[in-house]
Amino acid sequence: MLPLLPQLLCAVAEKLSRKLIAMDANAKPALAKLQGKQLSVTLRDLKLTLVLSATADALLFNQHDEPTDCRITTDIATLKQLRDPSQLTRLIKNDALQIDGDLHVAQQFSHFLQQLNPDWQHALAGYVGDALAYKISRTLQHVQHYLQLKAKQLSQMQRELAQDELLLTPSRLETEQFSQQLSELQAKVEHLRRQLNTL
Amino acid sequence: MNEPTSPTTHFGFKSVPAEQKVAMVADVFHSVAAKYDIMNDVMSMGIHRLWKRFTIDCSGVRPGQQVLDLAGGTGDIAALFSKRVGPSGKVVLADINESMLNVGRDKLRDLGIINNIEFVQANAEALPFADNSFDIISIGFGLRNVTDKDAALRSMFRVLKPGGRLLVLEFSKPTHDWLSKAYDLYSFRLLPFMGQLIANDKESYQYLAESIRMHPDQETLKQMMVEAGFAEVTYHNMTGGIVALHRGYKF
Repeated sequence: MLPLLPQLLCAVAEKLSRKLIAMDANAKPALAKLQGKQLSVTLRDLKLTLVLSATADALLFNQHDEPTDCRITTDIATLKQLRDPSQLTRLIKNDALQIDGDLHVAQQFSHFLQQLNPDWQHALAGYVGDALAYKISRTLQHVQHYLQLKAKQLSQMQRELAQDELLLTPSRLETEQFSQQLSELQAKVEHLRRQLNTL
Repeated sequence: MNEPTSPTTHFGFKSVPAEQKVAMVADVFHSVAAKYDIMNDVMSMGIHRLWKRFTIDCSGVRPGQQVLDLAGGTGDIAALFSKRVGPSGKVVLADINESMLNVGRDKLRDLGIINNIEFVQANAEALPFADNSFDIISIGFGLRNVTDKDAALRSMFRVLKPGGRLLVLEFSKPTHDWLSKAYDLYSFRLLPFMGQLIANDKESYQYLAESIRMHPDQETLKQMMVEAGFAEVTYHNMTGGIVALHRGYKF
């Protein structure tokens, strides 16, 4: 990594998080519970350790290897899977994730970041006025819905193409039927084996 | 580096009586205090903020710690420390120059940093604090201007707690020849001109460029820290050695 780039990223993250926290009225009481706690996240593939510290009204970002309340060691590919709590045990077992220290601190930070809901429409209204801010917000919502719909349609189309047109994968019904037939066959074999044993 | 034994010392490239250097450096900083921050941003293209952040990263500061920011000037490093030590910690911003201290105090108050910070006018060579008082001491772009650097390092060692660390952020010697040449051109041609244009003070920025050249290089400063009693002294060059961060522990 370029020298001083981690410091630049930390400075930008700190500024950005300060703005986002200021836009969310519920953020400060939630942050007060975290005050004084430090969480470090080490990304093995980047050889980078990011330390998050919570103060009364902001999150601070640093980069060092000093001891903290909780330390998570992982790699970028695993980060996405961390959102699903049911995966945690499997990831720890596979050595993809290592947690040292107070796990509660990591959960509190994660909960805070997930709950953060900045009221950006209100902040935008200060610049462009209520009407335009509402319009922009609505348009963005429509775009988001449209993209979600398109993504769903695309995945449906891919499935149909693979199952019905190209016959690459079996459909759910076919799989169930196959599994049913297999069970029946298994039962018949078992029946036959018993008959053979009695002879 | 034998300033204390010599009746004269350097003030930029000039030799002056040792007892006059303090007053002459004071004049420089009285003169630049008001425009100090904007000049820092212009001269370093904003990179000084990242150098200072790197210093904080190397300090490993934790909530509740006692920090002394020497030659703290306009309080950039003290502000970063203050947020990190939290309400249970304390930051002392010390500077020998009253004008710089006033600018720093006003700036930090405007930023809302008031609760865990104290301002002290002090000479680094004879720090007015009890032995073993601080977990971390930082001196950013200040050691260069101290008349007796060895005495200052000894004084810092005294007030540092056992296990504490000293961080010296200072201009140093570029590691490449080509960079050294470009840097010379920049500091002797462009810097005084920029000083004239922005702060209307060519001489002070001429002094800045000269004092950087007279400051001990990385290895010499490391040796000086070892002689003052610091252990595990290491340094880290930044931006090709234009600036170096020295770190030493007291055990």
